Amino acid sequence: MSAVEPEDCGDGEAARAHRILSVSNLTKTRQQGGISFELKVPALSLRAGELIAVVGESGCGKSTLLDLLALVSCPSSCDGFLFQTQGGAGGSDIAALWKAGRESTLARLRRQHLGYVLQTGGLLPFLTVRQNLELPLHIQGLQVDPIRLNELASRIGVADLMGKKPQFLSGGQRQRVAILRALVHSPTLVLADEPTAAVDRTRARRIVADFRSLAWDGGCTIVMVTHDQPLVDGVADRQFGFRLEQVSENLTRSICLEGEV
Amino acid sequence: MDAFSVGRQPARATVVRLALADLRHEWVLTLCLVLALAAVISPLLILMGLKHGTVETLRCSLLEDPTYRELRPAETHTYDPNWFSAWRTRPEVAFLIPTILPASSIIGAARPDTLATQFLDLIPTGPGDPLLLGNGALIPGTDEVVLTQAAAEWLGVQVGDHLELRATRSRAGQSEQGTTRAIVRSVLSTRASSLARVYAPLDLVLDVESYKEGMAVPGRGWTGGSPTPYASYDGLFVLAPEALTPVQQAALAINTGLTRSTELATAVFRAKTGLIVPETSQLYELGVSSGSVQMSSVRAVKDKLRGTGAIVIPYVSADVLCVEAGESTGEHPRVIGLSLSLEDSQRLGLVDLPWGSLRADLEDAVRLQQILVPPGSITRGVDLEAVFESGDAAARFPLTVAGIGPQGVLLVPAELLGILRTGVDRPVIYDSSSGRFLLGRTGFQGFRMYARTIDDVAGLEKALRDEGIEVVSQAQAVERIRILDRGLTRVFLLVAVVGITGGVAALIASLYAAVQRKRRELGVMRLLGLARHAVFRFPIYQGTAVAGFSILLALVVYFASAAVINQIFAADLAVASQSCQTEQHICALPALTLVFAFQGTLVIALLSSLVAAWKTTRIDPAEALREE
Repeated sequence: MSAVEPEDCGDGEAARAHRILSVSNLTKTRQQGGISFELKVPALSLRAGELIAVVGESGCGKSTLLDLLALVSCPSSCDGFLFQTQGGAGGSDIAALWKAGRESTLARLRRQHLGYVLQTGGLLPFLTVRQNLELPLHIQGLQVDPIRLNELASRIGVADLMGKKPQFLSGGQRQRVAILRALVHSPTLVLADEPTAAVDRTRARRIVADFRSLAWDGGCTIVMVTHDQPLVDGVADRQFGFRLEQVSENLTRSICLEGEV
Repeated sequence: MDAFSVGRQPARATVVRLALADLRHEWVLTLCLVLALAAVISPLLILMGLKHGTVETLRCSLLEDPTYRELRPAETHTYDPNWFSAWRTRPEVAFLIPTILPASSIIGAARPDTLATQFLDLIPTGPGDPLLLGNGALIPGTDEVVLTQAAAEWLGVQVGDHLELRATRSRAGQSEQGTTRAIVRSVLSTRASSLARVYAPLDLVLDVESYKEGMAVPGRGWTGGSPTPYASYDGLFVLAPEALTPVQQAALAINTGLTRSTELATAVFRAKTGLIVPETSQLYELGVSSGSVQMSSVRAVKDKLRGTGAIVIPYVSADVLCVEAGESTGEHPRVIGLSLSLEDSQRLGLVDLPWGSLRADLEDAVRLQQILVPPGSITRGVDLEAVFESGDAAARFPLTVAGIGPQGVLLVPAELLGILRTGVDRPVIYDSSSGRFLLGRTGFQGFRMYARTIDDVAGLEKALRDEGIEVVSQAQAVERIRILDRGLTRVFLLVAVVGITGGVAALIASLYAAVQRKRRELGVMRLLGLARHAVFRFPIYQGTAVAGFSILLALVVYFASAAVINQIFAADLAVASQSCQTEQHICALPALTLVFAFQGTLVIALLSSLVAAWKTTRIDPAEALREE
């Protein structure tokens, strides 16, 4: 563990030293219809303020990796899975929590420290944009600062959509709201699953740019899963890829490696 | 874990908000479900209201109508005053009053200015009579009566009018009439009785009965006989100058009403009477094994002893009379009843008795109320006060000192003690105005009893029957309504089970389908950090909210329908509600039932939503990350 870093993550170089998540020798096995899929993550560590791209074709285990990082999927085995939410001291042993079945504690970690951007946003259709944005704060019982919320909304250009429900928003607008929702409670880690899948290239670039700028301002680490490598080339700090092996007729193994594209 | 426990309450509030927001978002579906459930609940409420309203209306007519609380004897018995006072103390008896025989209860009534007499049934009443009070009438006071509607119409009188009551009788072949005036205090509604009846205070009714039986009622100026009490004794002493033959002695107990005849030693006689008689006398004691010896027996014994020179002395062994003889004597001297002719008393060596020999005629009050006192300070002509007990009451009357008698005893006429002896068995009263003893009423031929509530009627009926008193009551009417209530309750429960089953099925299906449809949204909620148990409550809150709206809507429908139904029946109920103190509705539910219906609906909805809630626990937050 590195020494405590200043909270101001806008200074990219300084923040990069603080590691927030580390995984070593993690294996996740899935079975479906007699065919096994095995994801191996030999080593993965995330540092504060990084934009990480996970790039791969469908079926390579991107989603499985994301489930694991999202604390909603239990690793089959692992040597270490630590989540360092605050600088230095307090850390959570995710592997141990899973083993102990501490579902509520994992839920708490999720609501306090994680943000999600799903492919089509994952906004709740029965809530307005404002209510969707307030939800992560409400779940934690935090007060909503309307001025700050409007400021953030203005910055990504959804301020005049606050009273609308997601169904009346365009794909791009929805995605931007989703990004804002993922960041509104200042999480430590934001996970984005193909956030640009539903929009055209121009909008996709703008989304990634928005993402990048919001992430720096909030000082969080972003893991973005995409199949579109050109989109993240030059924007992401680091990239992870998958190496697929057909071990046997019934077993496919995918190994997640940094720089493997 | 601190952060977790702090986060618990906000999470709950958030889930409630989310659940309601979702219902609002899908308002068409929500509305349909609310309507579907309300369509199940409101008919049940209306049905329950109809059942309750109908039964209560029927019950009310019974509760409010004192007729259903009345108990009347089915047979004629004599009920003594003690019986009445004992039964009046029972808590379930609201009112009890004696009645007279129907034959004596017919009385003529007319407006004072007319001669045309209408004959009415005269019924006694008194303070607290539910029949009068329950039908809007006042209790008549002295010289007041209450008429039934029919009687008032017949007579053409109204409240406040004067009425002449005419009691008629036939005595010694002549028709006689006693009249009295009364004011009409109230007129009863037709519900009380459709017959022409007049309700009057008990004393007037008893006076009419006495008059009809040929007696005088001095208080009302009605002439006639008086019920003089007869004399009765415990036994007879026979003092014979010579011993009776065994045949003679045995004959005294044959056809004389006497059953015992024994020889008696002079000493025993002296001990019993305090009187000294010549040693030569042969003494016999005659008596009965039970009951009392009447004057007829005395006469029969005297007849059998005619010619023997024997003297017959009836005696009363109980202390029936107590004389306040003043302070001169430390102890009360014994009171001996003795009536002898001048000749007999001289034969026995006794003082002259001013009242003379034993007589059957007891009309002479002055003769009976005399006393001979032992020699002492009391002087002749002074009145002493005497006390006797009859029934429950002690009565006082004066005794005039007529002379000086033997030492140690107070001598009074034997008939006086005989009358007071009768007072042990039957009420004897002393009428100070006439200075006479009168035979009191032994009892009443019937009664009117009212139970406190209609539910007490059956119990009272049984208690009376246990005493051998068959009664007529409306207990069956009460039971009929109870049976109807039970039957309707069963029908209602059947319909309720069918309806509620349908409602529950609809709710379960709807909530379950909603959870299926919203797997992704529920997954997102989990992903955003709501714990499994928090999301578990999502369908529960929704089900409860939908049920809450449904029951509110159902209540609105129920109240509207009840208003319409009651409007339809209003005209028919108007007659009933007039006399009922509470307003009558054919469709009505007590507030508590409505509260229970509200709570019950919520509880059933909560239980129904558990299936859907369980389904949410099967949703993996990872599903939210997938795209279908």
